[in-house]
Amino acid sequence: MEKHMAVCPYCGTGCKLNLLVEGGKVVGAEPLNGVTNEGELCLKGYFGYDFINDTKILTPRLRNPMLRRSRDAAFEAVSWDEAIQYAAKKLSEIKAKYGPDSIMTTGSSRGTGNETNYVMQKFTRAVLGTNNVDNCARVCHGPSVAGLQVTLGNGAMSNSIPEIEHTKCVLVFGYNVADSHPVIAKRIIKAKERGAKIIVCDPRKIETARLADLWLPLNNGSNMALVNAFANVLINEGLYDKEYVANHTEGFDEYRKIVDKYTPEYAEAITGLPAEDIREAMRIYAAAPSATILWGMGVTQWGQGVDVVKGLSGLALLTGNLGRPNVGVGPVRGQNNVQGSCDMGVLPTEFPGYQKVTDPEIREKFAKAWGVPSLPDQIGYRLTDVPHLAETGKLKAMYVMGEDPAQTEPDLTQVRKGFEAMEFVIVQDIFMTKTAMFADLILPATSWGEHEGVFSAADRSFQRFTKAVDAKGDVKHDWEIISLLATAMGYPMHYDNTREIWDELRELCPIFYGVTYEKMEGLGAVPWPCRDLDSAGSKYLYEGNVFQRPGGKGLLFATEWRPPRDQLTEEFPLILCTVREVGHYSCRSMTGNCAALQTLADEPGYVTINPKDAKALGIRDQELVWVSSRRGKVISRASVTDRTNKGAVYMTYQWWIGACNELTIHAVDPIAKTPEYKYAAVRVEAIADQVWAENYVQQEYAKLKGGLSNAVTGATNKAPAYA
Amino acid sequence: MNRFVTANPSKCIGCRTCEVACALAHSDGAGVEGLGPESFKPRIRMVKTADVSTAVMCHHCEDAPCVNSCPNNAIVYRQHSVQVEQERCLGCKNCVLACPFGVMDVVTVPAVRQFAVMTLSLGVKAQAHKCDLCIGRDAGPACVSVCPTNALTLMDRDAMDETLRRRRERAALEAAEVAA
Repeated sequence: MEKHMAVCPYCGTGCKLNLLVEGGKVVGAEPLNGVTNEGELCLKGYFGYDFINDTKILTPRLRNPMLRRSRDAAFEAVSWDEAIQYAAKKLSEIKAKYGPDSIMTTGSSRGTGNETNYVMQKFTRAVLGTNNVDNCARVCHGPSVAGLQVTLGNGAMSNSIPEIEHTKCVLVFGYNVADSHPVIAKRIIKAKERGAKIIVCDPRKIETARLADLWLPLNNGSNMALVNAFANVLINEGLYDKEYVANHTEGFDEYRKIVDKYTPEYAEAITGLPAEDIREAMRIYAAAPSATILWGMGVTQWGQGVDVVKGLSGLALLTGNLGRPNVGVGPVRGQNNVQGSCDMGVLPTEFPGYQKVTDPEIREKFAKAWGVPSLPDQIGYRLTDVPHLAETGKLKAMYVMGEDPAQTEPDLTQVRKGFEAMEFVIVQDIFMTKTAMFADLILPATSWGEHEGVFSAADRSFQRFTKAVDAKGDVKHDWEIISLLATAMGYPMHYDNTREIWDELRELCPIFYGVTYEKMEGLGAVPWPCRDLDSAGSKYLYEGNVFQRPGGKGLLFATEWRPPRDQLTEEFPLILCTVREVGHYSCRSMTGNCAALQTLADEPGYVTINPKDAKALGIRDQELVWVSSRRGKVISRASVTDRTNKGAVYMTYQWWIGACNELTIHAVDPIAKTPEYKYAAVRVEAIADQVWAENYVQQEYAKLKGGLSNAVTGATNKAPAYA
Repeated sequence: MNRFVTANPSKCIGCRTCEVACALAHSDGAGVEGLGPESFKPRIRMVKTADVSTAVMCHHCEDAPCVNSCPNNAIVYRQHSVQVEQERCLGCKNCVLACPFGVMDVVTVPAVRQFAVMTLSLGVKAQAHKCDLCIGRDAGPACVSVCPTNALTLMDRDAMDETLRRRRERAALEAAEVAA
């Protein structure tokens, strides 16, 4: 049996593991003693590898480039040469006719790695000539990046994952760590065993709430009011660190004016929390000699996400919980390499290494290195702008790599209309996805396990992963495909391996310069910033309490609470909040093809509902129900549980039949453009004929699976005309 | 003392990694791709209520109701554990009703016999189905080795003694605090 070192391709914890290979097939995974996982793996880490083997449980792996010359035609398998020439011709035509800003690309925050993302943004900027490149951070921690960059100067987790278990207080805000990052959940359990106090702010009784010293089940949509009230208590009870605030922050007077109104009693009406609990939380937080704030999508997937992120960083600034070990602010990244795609500049605002596209000197540096006369100076489009831009004719072509927006974006009806309106869509993936069904050209790539590269864990640690098996079929590495396309469009691009790409980007990004492949050998993890070849990187940021802002001080920021956008009415009286479950990941193209994970949870997925709400609606546990909003209607299975708060229901977002994004609203944060996935007004209805409903689910599921599968087999059956 | 696996509810995060590891450890080497909804029969089960998440499994009782209730002596004490001799199991379900923890089940599996080069189907065979501590697995119970939060522990006499020693020490310290 062979063993090949890898980094888990699921959440952002960055667990090191060995893939076990027999006869060219991955047959198991075993944990390694990596920096962040220390010999542990979770459900997905242990049992989430068999998708590589093309199990076809949910959807088939892609084996050939596939093209359809018109939207009503079926896909046909074509040669790489034809696929690349076709794509180059179409993109060049669209660029010439409508301008470079009519084209948009995506990076992939998943198994492909940092090198591919670097190449994708280089292609977008240097070859297409636009900054229209983005990644799914837009729909997750975009607000954390935008918010923290303003208040502290850096958008990432301030401290490392291993430090969590040494902090004396963990404030968990809108973050279901047990389902999102099980191996980080262990760090919180260990912190508690070491005497740390745990405070959890979440409307649901999540696993971490069970072990919390104080659980604050706030009303859905009241985050800003609670964070302001926290600041109010810290200031008015004199719990804040006056010296730290005087020496290392700015904006205190303005900040104080705004939070002054948010007394715990005032916030009680908005949050539904007893004023005394709000006070108690801040007394615990301020008393701790070291305290860490961790947050997730419960903070960011709101129309007011950026503001709340800034507010949370304010609590750390007020109490001096930054710039040293075991403290800090932790927006814990959800996807294995979503930190990496941001690091690599797969963002419409930034080059790799967080260098602004609006800075002329930076542009000149990259233009020179990439051998082009100039680079675009206008900030590009955001991913969540796409449906609207396509429908209004501003966006004509899209090159989607390793993402499935037709499953994961809000208000899917609008997303589908957007794709249909575009003239040319390329989807580059390892699986046939719902998004790929909208493509004109499908480019098959190698999967995690079939290539090597570098990922960034949630705590900024760069780690290498290696190849375990050879890819089957006529597929290529993502970065190779992009290079071929660049070359066909008149910009010669060639790399022999990922290391060559890594060394190119290292030279261009001062904060990554010291991170060499050698340092990341084996179990090596190097957290950026790492500016020198002899540096081991930075476990925590803001050393000496110097913030990466003009003047070096942290900014205290508060603003008024805004209620969520969607309106509860008699017709739609319940709040729908979309969440995660431990066994499935993202759009489910990977975990849905893993036998163990699909065995534990399959269509149509669950809508969890409080027993009182269920009883009023005549719904019993495990029954199928209709869930509808102003935007759509789907069938789901009721899970009646006291862990769900009254007045709200929760669905996970990876199901095809119980697709909650048919229901969610396209209301976005004004700065980060992140959608309000956490609040849509819905109605839940019982279904009298459960036998019919069960059959309906099976039929619809079979139809969807069959459609995707037939698209692939139909194309390959006709295939080898070129072979 | 019989050995048994214990679960600590204050560490469990309800992830069911133990269930999959259990099913795989009893799959006769079929591997993860052999798993499916019909064949998925873990002997450890994660239970989630409003306030508790934890795994439940056989206690390997010292005076086991399942052993006592079996009319055909199919359940025996062996290697410091309670084991089922499957060939003797009638599938009568007495043990299922007797077990106060709900961790004994009776399942049916396809029964076959090899005769020369032929495989003969003999219908189905009943099996009393419960935790066997992965007896014969060198690394010990599979659930214990995979649990990402170390919520599961294999209790044998030594581990039990150590737990008791720590508890007594804690009790003594608490008593001293009260006295002071």
